[in-house]
Amino acid sequence: MTAALALDRVSLSLGAFALRDISFAVAPGEIFVVLGPSGAGKSVLLETIAGFYQPDAGTIHIGGRDVTAAPPEARRVGFMFQDYALFPHLTVAQNVQFARRDDPARTRDLLARLALAHLADRKPANLSGGEKQRVALARALAMDPALFLFDEPLSALDARARDALRDELKTLLRQLGLPAIYVTHDQTEALVLADKMAILRDGALLQIGAPSEIFNAPADEFVANFVGVETVLEGETLAASDGDVRIALGSREIHAVSDHAARRVLVCIRPEDVALAHAARGDSSVRNQFDARVVAVAALGPLFKITLDCGFPLIAYVTKQSYLELNLAPGVRVIASVKATAIHLIDRK
Amino acid sequence: MTAKTLAPSRSLLLAFWLIGGVLLAFILLPLLQMIANQSPARLAHVAAMDEVRAAIILSVQAAFLTAALAGILGVPLAYLLARAAFPGKGIVEAIVDLPLAIPHTVVGIALLFVFGRTGWIGASVNALTGYQFWGTLGGIIVAMLFVSVTYTVNAARVGFESVDPRLEKVARTLGAGPWSVFTRVTLPLAWRGVLTGLTLTFARAISEFGAVIVLTYYPMTAPVKIYDLFLQFGLDDSSAMAVLFLAVALTLFILLRYLAYGRRAAPGGRA
Repeated sequence: MTAALALDRVSLSLGAFALRDISFAVAPGEIFVVLGPSGAGKSVLLETIAGFYQPDAGTIHIGGRDVTAAPPEARRVGFMFQDYALFPHLTVAQNVQFARRDDPARTRDLLARLALAHLADRKPANLSGGEKQRVALARALAMDPALFLFDEPLSALDARARDALRDELKTLLRQLGLPAIYVTHDQTEALVLADKMAILRDGALLQIGAPSEIFNAPADEFVANFVGVETVLEGETLAASDGDVRIALGSREIHAVSDHAARRVLVCIRPEDVALAHAARGDSSVRNQFDARVVAVAALGPLFKITLDCGFPLIAYVTKQSYLELNLAPGVRVIASVKATAIHLIDRK
Repeated sequence: MTAKTLAPSRSLLLAFWLIGGVLLAFILLPLLQMIANQSPARLAHVAAMDEVRAAIILSVQAAFLTAALAGILGVPLAYLLARAAFPGKGIVEAIVDLPLAIPHTVVGIALLFVFGRTGWIGASVNALTGYQFWGTLGGIIVAMLFVSVTYTVNAARVGFESVDPRLEKVARTLGAGPWSVFTRVTLPLAWRGVLTGLTLTFARAISEFGAVIVLTYYPMTAPVKIYDLFLQFGLDDSSAMAVLFLAVALTLFILLRYLAYGRRAAPGGRA
């Protein structure tokens, strides 16, 4: 199968900054998230793929076609900037038909598909965040893109709007079935959206893989620190009723409270939500109790980071007091408990 | 943008309004006094003079053509200054501003060296086409353009700088080539800046006297004719024509500003 996008050893020097030897491929329909801190070169990478920079070395193929030397207008990439950069002097309909002025029927069709028909004559300044996002998608779809590029489109929004738009975007991208590269510095965004992801730092890719691989098996210390120490596990939903979801994690089972019920899910557990004790508690509100063995202990400022093996890997933070009381050391057996409400589920395809 | 911050003190505002009021009076009083001194009979008498009407029409024509030429020649340079990084940019900026610093009689004399009878452009254009820059509309426009094009370049540059480069990039990814992006995205979005510049250029051009009178005494533009009336007939006739001309020039200026800024800002908006 031809990759939707393939970068082969792309290098680019821009003054003090450089993209260094970047190679990766994106499969058709795949959402590929590039996660990295600001200044890592995420935007430069996207703009190189879009054709605004010519690489010094390496090749870029889109849909099997070598576009390394092609100008942006010949690459068929839908570029989604932060805030979506809609043309402020044009109406919604004029924005959408920018690429195809000769085809008003297509514009009408796209406006209808993205639930924008009633906004056709509005100017972008009068649109909500979700409406802007849909206009930008429709505008790019008009030129029949081979691929979408998202440059932190949600980073200027407040947290609540960001979550809503992120979920809507994911749904839309799934419906469209088009491949996308999405760059962000936000781990949650990466986890929610990514089929596959890469970590970018100082213009170089440090690790490429599935989100669970990267979050659970970071290739180096930078990746580990950057993605945080959340426990992220691939699970399979066994049953879901009334918000109670039962999920298989290898040979163990875990309960979560969620309205998500996709068959495959990512189970995310924050280390501060894991409680440790020597004996199981009778309290029935804690449904997830696991026999665990301490694998490693590390001092982390005022807290201690405890790496556990419960049949699946789990990370807990405990206070110094708990650490002393429980006498935690590698090999010690404890009961680890996590409230079902503290477990975060992310749908997988 | 009005932020609710600490309000400036009353006494400071009062003092500044007093000083500002003196300045406004300084600008308005001479004009109002001149207008007040006119009798309708005198205005009618001057307005009936063919030469006066011809001079005012010529001034308006020449200033419009100058603004159009300033747009054609000034907009590309404004775009380069806004968007391109190149060595010697500071020098280019200084050259653009230079006409503001040169006395206008000096401009006229300098232009004679190039566009005059023996000037290399003036002589060769005359040899090739028979056209001459002395005693013609062309000469007036050359003088007006030199002293006024700075405004178009600088205001259009501000207009281009205000256009988000991401909009141009998005347009490229949507299949538009560089020229198409300029005409469909950049120029429409920078239009207000360009129009502001053209308006200022028009205003500066229509009021030009020094450079025009040196390069092209005839045919007379309105400021030259006013000077001519002043020398021949004194203050009465020249001030009557001045008021007529002022009425025409200000009306056009306000109309252009209205075009550039819309209803709210004409005539009192910010430039």
